[in-house]
Amino acid sequence: MKIWRLKAPGGSSAARWMQWRTNTSGLRMPRFAVSSGVTAAFAVTLILLLGVAAAYAQLPEPKAHTFPLGGNRAAVWVVAQLHILFAAFILGAPIFIVVSEILGWLSGENYAARYRYERLAKEVTKVTVILYSMTALTGGLFIFVLLATYPQFTAWLINHFFAVFAIIYPLLFIAETIILYLYWYTWDALQGPKKGRHIALGALLNIVGLVTLFVIDGPTSFMNTPVKSAEGLDLKTFIETTATLWDKMDNYTWWPLNIHRTVGNVVFGGFIAGLIAAYMYLASKTDEDRAFYDWFGFVGNMIGVGALLVLPFAGYLLAYELCDYDASICPYMMADQLSMFFEMQGAMVGLIFLASNYYIWLSMKRIEGIERIRMSLATLLLMVSVPVVFMMVWTKFPIPDKMAFIIPAVYVGAWLLIGKIIPWTVSSQTMVKVAFLMVIIGNAIWMTPHAFVATQALAPDDGSLSLPHGEVSLGFITISWDMLALMPAKNAAAFTLVFVTIINYIMYNRALRNGRIIWGKIDFVSQFVLVFLAFSAIWTMGLMGVVRELTRKYFHVFNLQYDFTPESFTPTLAYSSWLITGITVTFYIIVSFAIVLTLRTGKDKAVAEVPKAVPVPAGAK
Amino acid sequence: MPEEKSLLRLVVTKGILGAVIAVVVFVAAKLMHFPPVFQIMFMLYVLLGTIVYILLDAPALPSFTGAKAIAALVAFYALVSGAFIAGANVLPQYDPSVEKGKIDKIVKPKLAMTEKGKVDELLKRSEELNARSQAIMKRLETIGGAEVKSIAASTGSTGGAAAAKSAGGGGDLIALGKDQYELQECYNCHKIGGKGSVKKRGPILDNIGNLMKPEELKEKLLNPRAWMAEGFDKEYAKKLMPDKYKELMADQEVDALIAYLSSLKDTSVETPKPIKK
Repeated sequence: MKIWRLKAPGGSSAARWMQWRTNTSGLRMPRFAVSSGVTAAFAVTLILLLGVAAAYAQLPEPKAHTFPLGGNRAAVWVVAQLHILFAAFILGAPIFIVVSEILGWLSGENYAARYRYERLAKEVTKVTVILYSMTALTGGLFIFVLLATYPQFTAWLINHFFAVFAIIYPLLFIAETIILYLYWYTWDALQGPKKGRHIALGALLNIVGLVTLFVIDGPTSFMNTPVKSAEGLDLKTFIETTATLWDKMDNYTWWPLNIHRTVGNVVFGGFIAGLIAAYMYLASKTDEDRAFYDWFGFVGNMIGVGALLVLPFAGYLLAYELCDYDASICPYMMADQLSMFFEMQGAMVGLIFLASNYYIWLSMKRIEGIERIRMSLATLLLMVSVPVVFMMVWTKFPIPDKMAFIIPAVYVGAWLLIGKIIPWTVSSQTMVKVAFLMVIIGNAIWMTPHAFVATQALAPDDGSLSLPHGEVSLGFITISWDMLALMPAKNAAAFTLVFVTIINYIMYNRALRNGRIIWGKIDFVSQFVLVFLAFSAIWTMGLMGVVRELTRKYFHVFNLQYDFTPESFTPTLAYSSWLITGITVTFYIIVSFAIVLTLRTGKDKAVAEVPKAVPVPAGAK
Repeated sequence: MPEEKSLLRLVVTKGILGAVIAVVVFVAAKLMHFPPVFQIMFMLYVLLGTIVYILLDAPALPSFTGAKAIAALVAFYALVSGAFIAGANVLPQYDPSVEKGKIDKIVKPKLAMTEKGKVDELLKRSEELNARSQAIMKRLETIGGAEVKSIAASTGSTGGAAAAKSAGGGGDLIALGKDQYELQECYNCHKIGGKGSVKKRGPILDNIGNLMKPEELKEKLLNPRAWMAEGFDKEYAKKLMPDKYKELMADQEVDALIAYLSSLKDTSVETPKPIKK
């Protein structure tokens, strides 16, 4: 295998590394002060708005305004989702950045690796700081629009979480802003033996960021699952009189939402890093840059996909808790008004897994010696049998029955053991092609519903096509195949997608260890795959965010605060798709602008003069 | 890596193979009695698979930069956005007007119970009364005494009719109860007349009127832990039936629902036996 090594014709690698550091530190910081100033302004604005909101909440009977374009719900929807998308990135990216910085630090004398990890971390940080301003701006707008359009409910919510909105959240936001500044401005000062301190600062930034997320998740999750009284008090009396702030924060879905959003933010950060890499690759004029951004995209995709593997399970946990809180939420999501939203989710997840595996394939294709890589036949057979066997196991022993975990673990272990004993192998090409087949089959199972109908709640037994309210039905699955539409089949399908992707990565890793890779020589179409992955991930986040919000039905706070406005009904999937696409495109335009502004226009001699990298055999010093 | 084939050759060879597989899948799905829409879905997956396998072996895309790259990106975004919107539009759509009607029936009485609702209602009534009195005054000013008597008589008769309607009041309690059954979406877990949940979340209720007295039904509705349906141990243990109805439903609504459930006495449908807990 070849890895990045520094070729330093004009001096030692270390000298070139030091030269790069000196150049970048001198040239980049002043320009960046502008965006940091903007960030500060926005952060202060947000905090002021929070203060205004807290004061406004004390006003008696504030009057609602009607948003002229699309109505109040659409206005809140757009601003809230934009805010969450920016927030997701500024929380996900720092995890990515610090991990990259640590990897660079651990690279020690391997200056090439150190350089590329450092450059990656720094470039993503630059984009993050710009987007931090947008998070603050959209956060402020969100509060403003909420107060204008739903004043009574907003006042009620602020009153119930006064300490959160007026004290804790603003303080955390200020702390995060200060740490982000410190992190950025001390980047060059805290190098060499002080690097550990800079990494610690990055870790602190992540901790504060996560705490901020968890704090704001409290009111958000409370709206879905307001805490019930253990003493048998009715919900309204308990919330209005007895429940403490902590009771309200620590509700059924608080932790599931925290976990889901944390994992989702890492996926998001990874895929947006992939997007940055794709843009920069498309704009690269030198082999050096192409090599760097090819590698950059690879790392972004790897982190995005790595976290994506966990995301379905985190989502499942959140859905499980929602259903556990109130079983009527479950059919509303899966079988009633939102059932086709989940069909769409299935399609999106399938496309994301196909695209991420396609990227792995494109990356593998350019590895010299890939044809020598072989996998055990037992692994292939295991992969093929997973959907059927796991579906049968989970039908017999539904999750969370302990047998639902033991049997699959034993099954996988047995096949791996057989693979060690029986020497038959298959080529990597065959393995990849079968893996794609399994992704398609897995997704087809995921997408198979009881019926293609917008609501099947009133579905008659005989599967006839007329429904009570005249909804369009396109036929019901027959009884003999209805297991494909049940939860065990969906779980088996999700597991298949994850399992296949893991196998592909194992194979890829083997190819990297035993073959030769030249960065910068990947098929050009791969950059469009990275763009597609980021776009699809954002779109899916938007879709599932809508689902979570809509599970409150005609309540602002489920079962507690009715939404008396005329817009409390479930919107159609078609209408939602237009809004979600509009929001995604808007976000993309802003992110693209931020990337171009910070990285393309920021391209200077310092970057142009970085040491050239050429592939050399792995293990060479 | 094996030598790359031309894209055209790939499309033709894999396209033919994909078409053959599509036909096989279509026939197999038909023989297995999948409805037509599922047959179409499986064929679409074959099409997707064909595209994927063409892409896997497709020759590398030549690189380009500058305006061409920007144009390609914009076109790509437009294509992906269009595909996502089209996908969402092709799926069956829920009709919001159905839910709007339901929400009105549920939410309006709740709004009326709030302070704001009461004030709004009073304001509305006073505005109506004001408008009416103004109209009467206007007519009194312009027409004679005979007309005045007629107005008084007509106002009185209208009021009497309204009062009579109100006294008749309850209307068909069972019909109101059936309405509540739908408004509270009980059908998501239960089945009556073969209609309702496709999953076995809760018991069939066709003969529940013969198995439980009205007060027992009420006890179950307001305190789901008080009774369990035979064979629903897991569901009972998971507390699947929400315990929110005592808070969300008014007394009259509960009574109407109980009246409806008590009227369900179809002995031909096997209904799980209730067990007191």
